[in-house]
Amino acid sequence: MIELDALTKSYRGAGGGGPAAVHVLKSVSCRIARGDFVAIMGASGSGKSTLLNILGFLERPDGGSYRLEGADLSLADDDVLSSVRNRKIGFVFQLFPLIDHVSALRNVMLPLLYNEDDVPDGSARALRMLESVGLAERAQHRPSELSGGEQQRVAIARALINDPALILADEPTGNLDAKSGGEILDVLQGLRTAGRTIVLVTHDRAVAERADRILLLEDGRLAAARTVVA
Amino acid sequence: MTDYRREGRRLARLVRFSIELLAAHKQRTALSISGLFVGVATVMVMVAVGRGAERRVVGRVRAMGSDLVIVTAPPAARVAGRQRQVSTATALRPADADAIAHESPLAKAAAPAVQRTLVAKFGDRNANVSVSGTTTDGLDIRRIAARAGRIFDETEDREQRRVALLGPTVARLLFAEMDPVGREIRIGAVPFEVIAVLVARGIDAGGTDLDNEIVVPLQTAMRRLLNIPFVHTILVQASAGGSERLDGLETDVREILQRRHPTRAGEGDVQPFVVQNQAVLLRTELGAARTLNRVIVAVALLALLIGGVGVVAVMLLSVRERVREIGLRRAVGARRRDIQLQFLTEATLLAAVGGAAGVVGGMLVSAGASVIGRWDLVFSWWAALAGLAASSILGLSVGAIPAARAVRLDPNVALRSG
Repeated sequence: MIELDALTKSYRGAGGGGPAAVHVLKSVSCRIARGDFVAIMGASGSGKSTLLNILGFLERPDGGSYRLEGADLSLADDDVLSSVRNRKIGFVFQLFPLIDHVSALRNVMLPLLYNEDDVPDGSARALRMLESVGLAERAQHRPSELSGGEQQRVAIARALINDPALILADEPTGNLDAKSGGEILDVLQGLRTAGRTIVLVTHDRAVAERADRILLLEDGRLAAARTVVA
Repeated sequence: MTDYRREGRRLARLVRFSIELLAAHKQRTALSISGLFVGVATVMVMVAVGRGAERRVVGRVRAMGSDLVIVTAPPAARVAGRQRQVSTATALRPADADAIAHESPLAKAAAPAVQRTLVAKFGDRNANVSVSGTTTDGLDIRRIAARAGRIFDETEDREQRRVALLGPTVARLLFAEMDPVGREIRIGAVPFEVIAVLVARGIDAGGTDLDNEIVVPLQTAMRRLLNIPFVHTILVQASAGGSERLDGLETDVREILQRRHPTRAGEGDVQPFVVQNQAVLLRTELGAARTLNRVIVAVALLALLIGGVGVVAVMLLSVRERVREIGLRRAVGARRRDIQLQFLTEATLLAAVGGAAGVVGGMLVSAGASVIGRWDLVFSWWAALAGLAASSILGLSVGAIPAARAVRLDPNVALRSG
């Protein structure tokens, strides 16, 4: 599913060339198979989010190669990458996951706006997605009327609507209490059981341990992968 | 399925969602619309005011004809060395008009006229009416035409027939729904036969209803109605248009009158006549009205521009506020041009709605002002269309600014901010 080889990424200093560049990712290599549930752990500033953004084509690596389902998209243009994000990848972010002022249902339907194929009966499909995260009865509520955990579940429903193979979650439980966080992890585990590939970024050991595998991001390299016995 | 149709449906989905979002952000939407609303409404009202002023001037001059030299005679102070008792008498005679018509090659026609306000009666109805007497040439020059019935001829003038042409207002006042033609009215104590109802002429600049008038033959008016040997005005029509010819005609008229009415010793050389040249009048008045118009329109356009700046400001603010939304949209598959399109769509929608509201507002204000304040505001569809088009174009072009900003946002930076 995902093949990373010697991936590098660095950021220039704030002045734009003055101070030395910061090498966030020095050489990241790994394989993630279809149906894997992988947690990437690391201290804050270790480059976890950068790695996740590269996996989701929100950022481009400086060097190395990234293949998704065997395809190298390093030369693809914005339109192609947008289309890949739309159909193959579902994002779940830590902060501000939804658009305010419109209903949960409309938020779930957002990716359909950008889907090149017309999706007949998009709202019925969105309702099914909300059902799958247990929020069917909250469909017409606005984000401000939902709890943090509910908002995050709406975000997961949105991530699923175009039936992506890969789910990328960036600290999805970071802003939630233990109970709500647990519910989110339950939902993610359910997705994994349904055959989707999940990459989760967290600094929380307890969260990471819900995954099949944990990869540690240290000093710009992925290391010390430990298999969790399920 | 063609690509165009797919893109079209995608666009339709985006627009629908934009409308939903705009509707959801009521305050923000109202704010950006209000600037253009005020701007367009101002343009509409100002253009209406300007056109109204211009129409008044043109109407006033048209009512007289724009190829005229008008001789009016102020009341003569002295006649035969004695202070006049009757202050309305003038030295002007019908023969003066004939002389002008015959002697000046630049004059096409000259018509003497008298005028006085009298009471007209039909049955138990009566009305204060401006009664004027003039010749058939006078009818021609003033472009007086019958809506029903016929106008009088030279024979009727010469024979002092008691025939009257009624302005529409008089006809309505005296006869209501009845057909006045063929009926007998009294002007003062004198019976007249109504032979025509005139075509409506409207209201002049001073607020005088030009249709509240009865026109009778000159001789009838002088001998039977007013019993005076003099006339109040002479209208001289130029043989061809052009302000130079009119200026020449004015000189001729002055010379002829000077010769026929030499000033006596002790009276100074002040001629007892006022000779007005319509071309000069029209030029100055239209010039003034148009200058005012240009100033007004410039101010209004400025208001519109400020309205446009308002839209940009609110949109830019909303880009900043919506950085995360943009990031989110990019993450779920929005292309750069989708984001650009979204902001352009929103700006254009806002501007179009603001413009349309402004047009409606401008119409209402114009209509209200003319009904309540009796101001002469001329609503113009041209201005309405122009206002709508201008605000939409303004919206589209100012929408490009926030759209460009939104597009430049890196999705991952956008998502992290806040």
